[in-house]
Amino acid sequence: MDMKSAITRARRGLREERRLYIVAVTSLAVAFLCLGATLLGVTNLDAAATRWGQSGRITLFLKDDADPQDIAQLRVVLEGLSDVNEVTHVTPEQARASFLEEADVGADLSSLPSEVFPASLEVTLVQGVTRERSESIATRLAQFRAVSDVESYRSWFQKLDHLLWGARMLALGLALLVMFCVVAVIGNTIRLAVARRRQEIEVMKLCGATNGFVRGPFVLEGMFQGFASALLAVLALLAGYLALHESVDSTLAALTGSRVVFLGAWTLLALLAGGAVIGAIGSAVSVRRYLSV
Amino acid sequence: MQGTKVVRPFPFFRAGARASQPQLSKPILVLEDVYKFFRPDQPTLRGVGLSVERGEFLFITGPSGAGKSTLLKLIYRELGVDEGRVLFCGRDIGRLTDKSIPFLRRNLGIVFQDFRIIDHWTVFENVAVALEILSMPQRLIRSRVAEALERVGLAGRGPERTSNLSGGEKQRVAVARAIVPEPALILADEPTGNLDPHLAIDILTLFEEINSTGTTVLFATHDHSLISKRDHRLIAIDEGRVVEAQQGLKHWPGSGIHTLVG
Repeated sequence: MDMKSAITRARRGLREERRLYIVAVTSLAVAFLCLGATLLGVTNLDAAATRWGQSGRITLFLKDDADPQDIAQLRVVLEGLSDVNEVTHVTPEQARASFLEEADVGADLSSLPSEVFPASLEVTLVQGVTRERSESIATRLAQFRAVSDVESYRSWFQKLDHLLWGARMLALGLALLVMFCVVAVIGNTIRLAVARRRQEIEVMKLCGATNGFVRGPFVLEGMFQGFASALLAVLALLAGYLALHESVDSTLAALTGSRVVFLGAWTLLALLAGGAVIGAIGSAVSVRRYLSV
Repeated sequence: MQGTKVVRPFPFFRAGARASQPQLSKPILVLEDVYKFFRPDQPTLRGVGLSVERGEFLFITGPSGAGKSTLLKLIYRELGVDEGRVLFCGRDIGRLTDKSIPFLRRNLGIVFQDFRIIDHWTVFENVAVALEILSMPQRLIRSRVAEALERVGLAGRGPERTSNLSGGEKQRVAVARAIVPEPALILADEPTGNLDPHLAIDILTLFEEINSTGTTVLFATHDHSLISKRDHRLIAIDEGRVVEAQQGLKHWPGSGIHTLVG
């Protein structure tokens, strides 16, 4: 198949069937937009999880009867660790004050005695410590005599992991759905185009056109539709991101400490290339099915 | 028909292949005892035998439904034979695979009664399509199309939309498309059927001019007034059988087609 001729004929086809193709591209752009928005959600959730995972914190709850010398020794050990950034000793009085300041349970808790709140060492890890490393440090610290319990916030990370897994599955499901939509919509669009251009096809066949020559432009047109739909969705998503990210950023930063990020270059490339490839596949399947050449 | 005529070599059912010298000396088209059935008990063609020499102009006539179009369709492999053989340049085209059929058709120029040109394309695009299929460079396509349009009397009309042309002009575009790849054989299936008598003569003359440059022409028509004006070899089909007349209608007793058949 002569690619130059196929491109010329595909351009002519796109021009002649532009109304049909605009409708198809617009519908598919909506499908790609849903997928892109989900991917954006996954990307941001992933970024937040990574950030939280890397700005780790461990709380060591101390025994009520812990020897001050043991606590001091524990602090020295902690401060000697390269992964530890800061160690703060929180007394029961400080813990009570902090709880009363932050808690809003609708009841008067000021009568609670300080003994209810255990003393603790709040350990802030340096940036970039992995979750696994944080778990390993927590396990080792639990063995100290003065320590009654260690909170490494593993359950929070597990919940976040579950949330991320769910979001990724949703994105995968949506990707499959979008793939099906693209194949179906482009397939039907090409089927209509084949029907409308039956006379051209017949003329080409009578002049000695091979199957590849006849099918080539239709495959290129399907490829273009898939690519254009994905591009349109990416541009709409980018416009939305640029319009909203400043206002969302401050809220998100206050809540999670992270900022909104846009889709990565590889994700964008995969969306655009995926759109083109699926478009070509949908078109090829349709042309093979409805074009008896 | 011989003398100064040019016999062109041609790709032989696949890209790049050429006909050998012995092939060029054989008849371009031979039909051997060909049968075609659309209903088991009523063959449309019954034992048709025919030999066409290179550079010949042949009329095929017969009443509507006699099998003229069927005969042509067997040659360009729109249909396959049920019995017998169709040899084009010595090759049995009934045995061609589906993939080889386009390469057979590249050796044929086909013209129809209903023109089969694309109305929303320009004249140039309608003619150029036959060369684009051959992956010819655009520069060559432009010059070859211009030459073909000049031959059919449409010089300089390339940019015009074919929807604006008259019936006779549309048929000239179809003829230009048929001749532009310089095929070995032109099949014309009632090419004057939609034209008035004056234009019909013009188109017939055009085919004769094409034939005079060495291209073999099979011209199917049921218009006896047209056939009677020329002395070309004539075959008549009626009820599936073929009868030949070497020098047109006027050398046969009577003038009706039924006197030629059976």
